[in-house]
Amino acid sequence: MKIKLKRVEVQSRKDMEMIDITGHVEAAVTETGIHDGIVFVSTCHTSSGLLVTEGIECLERDVLAHLERLAPKEPPPGTYGYWHNRYLDFDGRLGFNAGDHLKSILGGIQCFFPVENGKVVRGGRQRVYFVEYDGPLARTVLIQVMGEESKA
Amino acid sequence: MTRRGIDFHTHPLLVREMIARHPELATAARETFQIGNNFQPLETFLLELDEAGLEKAVILPIDARTTRGTTVYSNEQIAELCALSDRFIGFASVDPHSPEAPQALDRAVEDLGLRGLKLAPGMQEFFADDPKLFAIYEQAAQLGIPILFHAGMSWEPGTRLKYGHPMRFEDVAAGFPQLKIVLAHLAWPWVVDAVALALKYPNVYLDTSALYFDNPRDFLQFAMNTQVPLTVFERSLRKQIVFGSNYPRVEIKNMARAVRGLGFSEECLDLVFRANAEALLGGAR
Repeated sequence: MKIKLKRVEVQSRKDMEMIDITGHVEAAVTETGIHDGIVFVSTCHTSSGLLVTEGIECLERDVLAHLERLAPKEPPPGTYGYWHNRYLDFDGRLGFNAGDHLKSILGGIQCFFPVENGKVVRGGRQRVYFVEYDGPLARTVLIQVMGEESKA
Repeated sequence: MTRRGIDFHTHPLLVREMIARHPELATAARETFQIGNNFQPLETFLLELDEAGLEKAVILPIDARTTRGTTVYSNEQIAELCALSDRFIGFASVDPHSPEAPQALDRAVEDLGLRGLKLAPGMQEFFADDPKLFAIYEQAAQLGIPILFHAGMSWEPGTRLKYGHPMRFEDVAAGFPQLKIVLAHLAWPWVVDAVALALKYPNVYLDTSALYFDNPRDFLQFAMNTQVPLTVFERSLRKQIVFGSNYPRVEIKNMARAVRGLGFSEECLDLVFRANAEALLGGAR
């Protein structure tokens, strides 16, 4: 079995943003020459996510808006606060982005697909998204392909 | 989005291109300044400004060669970074313990084109009213540049709060009336003292880059509405407040949103985010 790991840097440009990385995933599979197996995708960052959903802008907006409702960056004044709002001496700064970490947990950080005949097998409407919850930042996405090379 | 305004308080410590050229900047960022965020391409800094709706940022060095054996960016490195983007406004720093400091400041302004002076009493271990600093202040006044002093509490390892008390800046404000000085971080926790200085001395400015607990929204509400009523800033000090984020200890977008949410009038917000900074920089050649 062959296993290949690729690191892709994704530059987010906004505070919250869904970035379609399906092309990166498919290219990584093609580059490996793996014919049959699986591809695993993960973000390295705890205030970002990895999601699979339909690739249309209205849905992208709904995903981000709903996650923000579930885990707001700033809870409504006078309601509740985050324990994370404190100085983190190991980081030299305050960690006031608990809402973004919570979005990452709620939305997930990984996905995987089968690889068949050298292609990613996914639903016709499924797209792979890197999801930024606390940008803009340069982020790292891991794409690992595992499987058998073509016998031909 | 139309971008207007200046972030008057940033530290370019995460810029990957500069760390590739000057690897010692990584040590300065991690150990001397102590910031743990991942290093980022220059583009991220500019996108941060975009996200905050701002056009430019003042980038600050600290010359701590006597007290820490290093600079956290040298004046030359600040000039080098300014050459990579016209959205940066470079400030100089000098070692206050060096007898050559006034000459170094002159070179930084005249030869490198830097437009202000940053001094950090906590990290550089000096009191601002120490007469040995006066030659630096005279030089800055002659050059027509503002001085941005770190004031109030410092996060950097080994720094003492005593150097940041606002009262240590009164002799500077009174003795050098032509010199414009900015007390950073609202001099927190001594916001009332800093406001008193600014009320009394028109050459004293305050920057908003204060965050010591909670989040930017709730902290600034406390410092700029509870410790001192917002009306004092709006009515009496509207021309002496400049927006600063302290990036990367705080993202520019987050501090900008907090300041915009305080309840200032639109006129006052334009002064804080743009006009006051431009006025401060206007005297610099």
